[in-house]
Amino acid sequence: MDLNLIKPMHDDYTDYLRDESRAIGQADSISFPKNEYEVASLLKTLYAQGTPITVQGARTGLAAGAVPRGGHILNLSKMDHIKGIRQSADGHFHITVEAGTILSQLRKRIEQKKFDTADWTNESQQAFEAFKDEPALFFSPDPTESSATIGGMVACNASGARSYLYGPTRDHISGLRVVLHDGQIAALKRGDYTASGRTLSFPTLQGNQITVDLPTYIMPKTKNASGYYIEDHMDAVDLFIGSDGTLGIVTEVELRLQPLPQTVWGITCFFSEEAAALDFVISARDTMNQLASVEYFDGHALDILRYQKKHNPGFSKLPILPDHVNTAIYVELHCQEETDAVEGLKTIGQLLEKAGANPNDTWVARNESDRDRLLFFRHAVPESVNMVIDQRKKTNPMITKLGTDMSVPDQHLKQIMAMYHRMLAERNLESAIWGHVGNNHLHVNILPRDDEDYKKGKALYDEWAAEVTRLGGAVSAEHGVGKLKAKYLEVMYGQEAIEEMARLKQYFDPKGLLGAGNMIEPVKGEVSQ
Amino acid sequence: MTGLKIHQDKCVGCGLCVKTCAADALAIQNKKAVVNEACFLCGMCLDSCPFKAISIEKQAAPKEDLSAYHGIWIYAEQQQGKILQVAYELLGKGQELAKQKGCKLTALLFGNDVANEAQSLIAYGADEVLLCEHPLLDTQIGENYIDLFDQLIQERKPEILLFGATGFGRSIAPRIAARRQTGLTADCTILEIDPVKGLLNQTRPAFGGNLMATIICPNHRPQMATVRPGIMQVQPCDVTHTGEIIRVDYPDQDASKTASIELLEQVIAAHVNTIVDADIIISAGKGIGSQKNMELVKRLAELMGGVVGVSRPLVDIGWSEYQNQVGQTGSTVSPKLLITFGISGAIQHLAGIGGAKTIIAVNTDPEAPIFSVAHYKVVADCVEILKHMIANLEALPENGLLIEESKDKLS
Amino acid sequence: MKIAVCIKQVPSTNEVHMDPVTNTIIRDGKQSVTNPFDTYALEQAVQIKDHLGGEVIALSMGIPATERLLRDATSRGADRSLLLSDRSFAGADTLATSYTLSLGIRELGGVDLILCGKMAVDGDTAQIGPELAEQLGLPHVTDVLAIDAIDEQTVLCRKATDNGYQRLKVTLPALLTVVKDLNMPRMSSLPGILYSLDSPFESKTAADLSADPARIGLNGSPTQVVRTYVPQRIREAIVLEGDESQLAEDILNIYSEVI
Repeated sequence: MDLNLIKPMHDDYTDYLRDESRAIGQADSISFPKNEYEVASLLKTLYAQGTPITVQGARTGLAAGAVPRGGHILNLSKMDHIKGIRQSADGHFHITVEAGTILSQLRKRIEQKKFDTADWTNESQQAFEAFKDEPALFFSPDPTESSATIGGMVACNASGARSYLYGPTRDHISGLRVVLHDGQIAALKRGDYTASGRTLSFPTLQGNQITVDLPTYIMPKTKNASGYYIEDHMDAVDLFIGSDGTLGIVTEVELRLQPLPQTVWGITCFFSEEAAALDFVISARDTMNQLASVEYFDGHALDILRYQKKHNPGFSKLPILPDHVNTAIYVELHCQEETDAVEGLKTIGQLLEKAGANPNDTWVARNESDRDRLLFFRHAVPESVNMVIDQRKKTNPMITKLGTDMSVPDQHLKQIMAMYHRMLAERNLESAIWGHVGNNHLHVNILPRDDEDYKKGKALYDEWAAEVTRLGGAVSAEHGVGKLKAKYLEVMYGQEAIEEMARLKQYFDPKGLLGAGNMIEPVKGEVSQ
Repeated sequence: MTGLKIHQDKCVGCGLCVKTCAADALAIQNKKAVVNEACFLCGMCLDSCPFKAISIEKQAAPKEDLSAYHGIWIYAEQQQGKILQVAYELLGKGQELAKQKGCKLTALLFGNDVANEAQSLIAYGADEVLLCEHPLLDTQIGENYIDLFDQLIQERKPEILLFGATGFGRSIAPRIAARRQTGLTADCTILEIDPVKGLLNQTRPAFGGNLMATIICPNHRPQMATVRPGIMQVQPCDVTHTGEIIRVDYPDQDASKTASIELLEQVIAAHVNTIVDADIIISAGKGIGSQKNMELVKRLAELMGGVVGVSRPLVDIGWSEYQNQVGQTGSTVSPKLLITFGISGAIQHLAGIGGAKTIIAVNTDPEAPIFSVAHYKVVADCVEILKHMIANLEALPENGLLIEESKDKLS
Repeated sequence: MKIAVCIKQVPSTNEVHMDPVTNTIIRDGKQSVTNPFDTYALEQAVQIKDHLGGEVIALSMGIPATERLLRDATSRGADRSLLLSDRSFAGADTLATSYTLSLGIRELGGVDLILCGKMAVDGDTAQIGPELAEQLGLPHVTDVLAIDAIDEQTVLCRKATDNGYQRLKVTLPALLTVVKDLNMPRMSSLPGILYSLDSPFESKTAADLSADPARIGLNGSPTQVVRTYVPQRIREAIVLEGDESQLAEDILNIYSEVI
C-alpha cells in the first residue's frame, strides 16, 4: 500500500472533524482513498494496528455518524465515479456508483442522461444506449442536503420528503460492495443472499463464507432508521444499509431508478389552527393516492421565517406569508396525467374546507420556478433556525440545536403533537417543529437560550424517546443513530437487544474499531460537542 | 408562399435541424426533414444545416424607392449637457462604415444649451452635426424627442441610424422605428457593411452570447440599430477634422395637445463601486457549497479590494442579493480580474462576463463550461482555495499596502 | 380600470447547451415558460385591480400552446385571456409583433393601462413595449421600478435610468414596461387554478382581427436574420496545478501581475 495515503491530521483538515450535527470530534490521521483497493489496503493496515476508523462522505449527517472519535478518518469523497448502468430483467435501470458520489451531481447526470462512459464495460455502454431512449427516470430519495454522498445515504438509510410515497434509500438499493475489517470484499446483489430465518450467510470475493446469527428483536412498524435492520429471511444487502459504518465500509452502491412522474404539483396549505391542519393531514392520507410527500411547519417555524424575511436580505425573496396563519402543510402530488393532479387538487380543496381551512390560503406550484420557490421556503426553515442557533452560539458556545427525529404509528399523530406542544410550553422552551407529518415523523427543534434551557431540552428529549417507544415508534426515523442517538437505542429496543446488536457488531468488527461510537454506546468517553 | 422550405434534393435526413429546433417543429420522416405547424420561423435551423437544405421563403415586399436614403446618422446622447461615451464609440464605428459606403457621417445633438459640445463630435469624426436646442429637450423625456427624430428622418432620409443601447436609447429607438415602420436591431455588438449588397449587417448576441445572429433590414429605411456601449472603438480625436453644424428647428407643437408624461423629479444616484464598474470581482456560484462560505468570498474580496459577484442560483436561493448578480439577467461586468469560485458557467452567466480581461476559474468539475471562457483553469475545492488565499493575504506583512494600492487603482 | 398584460412564451433557457461535436444549439427540455419579466407585469396589474377594481386581461401572440401560460396568468389574478394565434403571424420581428399586439389591444377595447415586462429573456430586445405604444399612439415609460400611486386618470411611477431614477406622472391610457423585483409575483392559489381551468379564453386569427397581411408575420417584418453562428472561443485556458496552497499562491501571483 502507498503509505502516503495516510496523512497525519493538521489544521487544514479541521473541517473533517465535524459534520452537520455540529458535533466536533478528534482524529490522528486521515486518508482520501481513490478506489476500493486503497480502501481495502488501508483497512487491513489500520485494523491490524488497532486504529479506530471512522468513514466519511460529505459530512452532511445530523447524528454525528461521520464525526471521528480518535484514530483515523477514512474519507471517501474522492471515490465519486459512476461506474456503469444495467437493465434488469424486469426492465428497471440500475446505476452503479462509488460511495463518494454526490447526490446532486448524480441527479444532474441522470436528468441529463450524460455520463462519462469511456471506462464502462460493453454491457454498460449498451444499457446506456437503451437508457437514453427511456422516458425520464429518477432516484427518489431526497434528503434536504442534496450534497450528501450516496455512501452517506446508505449508512443512515436516508429519507426525505418524498419517501412518504417512495420509501427510504433502502428501497432503492439493489446492490452493494462492502470492504470488511480484514480487507475482504463482499459483493452483494439484492436477492442473492437472504437469511434463513435469522441466520445470514454470504461469501466474500476471497472465497470465504461469512455466517452470522442475527439479533432476535422486532423492529417497529413505522418509519425507522434506528439500529441494525433485522428481519426474518432478510437480504444481506439490508444488513449494511443503515449500519452507520460499523460493520464494514461500503465502497460501491447500485441504485435502482424509477420512472419520473410526468406531473409534479406542490401545494403549500396554510391554517390558522393546528388542529385543522392535522385533521386535513389525516383525511388526505386516508383518501388520496397521489401524495408523494406530506410536510408540516408549526407556527414558531413560520414566525422565524417571517422574521428572517423582514431582517435578512437573503430571505427577502420568500413569498409573503398570510398574517393570520400559524401552521403550514406542504403536499406534493405525483401523477402521470395532469387530469389526476387536477382531481387531487379538487380533493384537497374539499378536505381543506371540511377541516375548516380556507382554500385561498394555498400556494400551488405547477412549474419549475414555482416549485423552486416552494423548495426555497421549505429549506429556509431549517436554514434560518440554524442561523438563530449560530447567533446564540457566539455568546454561549455550549448551546447547540436539539433536534428530534422520532416517528410514531399513524393512530398516534394527534396525541404526539399535543404532547410535544404541551411539554415544550410547560418547560418554557423555545422551539420550532417541522417534518414529515405524513409519516407522523416530526423534527422537534429545541432552541436553547442558555445552559439551563439546554439541560431542560436534553431531559425532554429523553422523556420523548421513552414515550415514542411506548407508542411503538422509532427514536431515529431517518437521520440514523450515529453517536448522538446511540443511547436512545436502548430506550427503544431494551438492554437485551442492544447486547445482541453489540454481538453482531463484534462478529464483523472484533476489535470494535469501525465507526467507533456509532450505534453502540461506548462504555466510557463521549464525543465532545 | 411564406414559410420554411426544405429542399428535398439537398436534405440527407441527418437530423441536426431537429436537435436545433426550439419549437419541436421539425422531424425526420422517410429520411427527410419535415416541418409542422409549430414552426415560428425563428431561423435557427437554417444555419444548423450543413447542406443548406433549409430556407425561409418570403413574399417579395413591394419595393419602395430606397435610393433616396443616404448617409449614416448616429444619435449623440447627452445627459446634463455632457455627451455620453457611447456617442464617441458610435462615431468611431460610424467613420468606418461611412468610409465604406462613401457617405457622410452625421451626429444628432439634441438638448437645451448643448451647442458647445458640437465641435467635439466633429473632432471625433462627425462630418455634420444636426443640432437642435429646445427647453423640452432639457430632460430625457422620450416622447419629446420622437417628433423631432421623425421629422428629420422624413426630411433628410438617412440610410442608417444608430443609437447607443442605453436605457434612453432603447426606449426611444423602437418608438421611432415603429413610427417609420422600419426595422430595428437591439443591442448590436458587431456592425459591418455587406460588401456585395451594401446593407448594414447588424450582429447581436442571442441566447446569452452563445449564439450570434446577423440581421439585415433590406427593404426599409433607415436601417436602425442600438449598439451596446463599451464595444466599439473610439477613434483618436482630430481637431483638424472639419464639419458643418446645422441647426434644426424643434417641430411645431400642437397647442391643444398636453404632455402625457411629466417629469416630477430626476434622481442621480451617488456613484458607488458597483459590480458593473469594479476592477476586481470575486464571484461565487452554488459550488461553494453552503451559505456560510459566502463569508469567505466577502472576506477575500475585501482583502483584494474587489467586490463580490454571484451567479443567479445564489440569488434565487437567497445567499446573496440581486445587485451582486452577474449574467444575462443580472449585470454585465468588465473587470480587469475576475476570479470565480464554484461557478459552473451556465451560458446566461457567461453572457455577463465576456468583458473581463482576465478570468481565473476555480471549480471541482474539470468539465465545467466556465473553463471554456477562463484564462486560467483551477480544478480544486473552492473552499480550500478561498481559505488559503485569505490566509496568505492576511499573513502578508505588507498586506495593508496591497489593499491600499488596489483601492487606489479602483478609485 | 381595464388593464392588459402582454405575455410571451419563452423557452426555459437554462436547457440550452451546445453540442460539442456539431456545434449546434440543442434545447433538450423544450419546455416553455412565461417570460419571467412578464410575471412582474402581471402581478402589478393584479395589485392595481385589487386597489381600483376593474379587469386584468392577459394577452399574447403565439402558438396555440401558449394557452397554457395564459391560463396560468388567470390562476394568478388575471380575469381572462386573449391569444392571437395564426400561421401567418409566424416569423414576426418586433415591428410585426407589436402591430399584431396592437390589434389585440384594439380588439379588447377601452384598455386604460398596458403592462409589459421590460424585455423577453430569449430575445432581449426590449422593443415590443415602445413599439406597441407607438402603434397605438399611447405614451410609454420603460423600466418602471415602482408604481407610487394610480387612479383612473394618471399613474405616478418611478423609471430606472442608467444612473438613478426619474419620478414621472403619466396620463392614462399608457403603456409601462416593468423591471424585475418591483413586486413579489404571487403564487397561484388552489381556487385560482381551478378558476383558470375554465377561465374565459379566446383565440383570434389574423382574419378575426382584420390584420393587414403586409404588416404581420414574416412578410410584415422589415428585419430578417441572415445568419446565426457560434462565436469562436479562441481561448484555451492555462491549467494551474499543484496542491491547494500552491494554487492559492499562483492565483495571488496572477492577481499582482494583472492589477
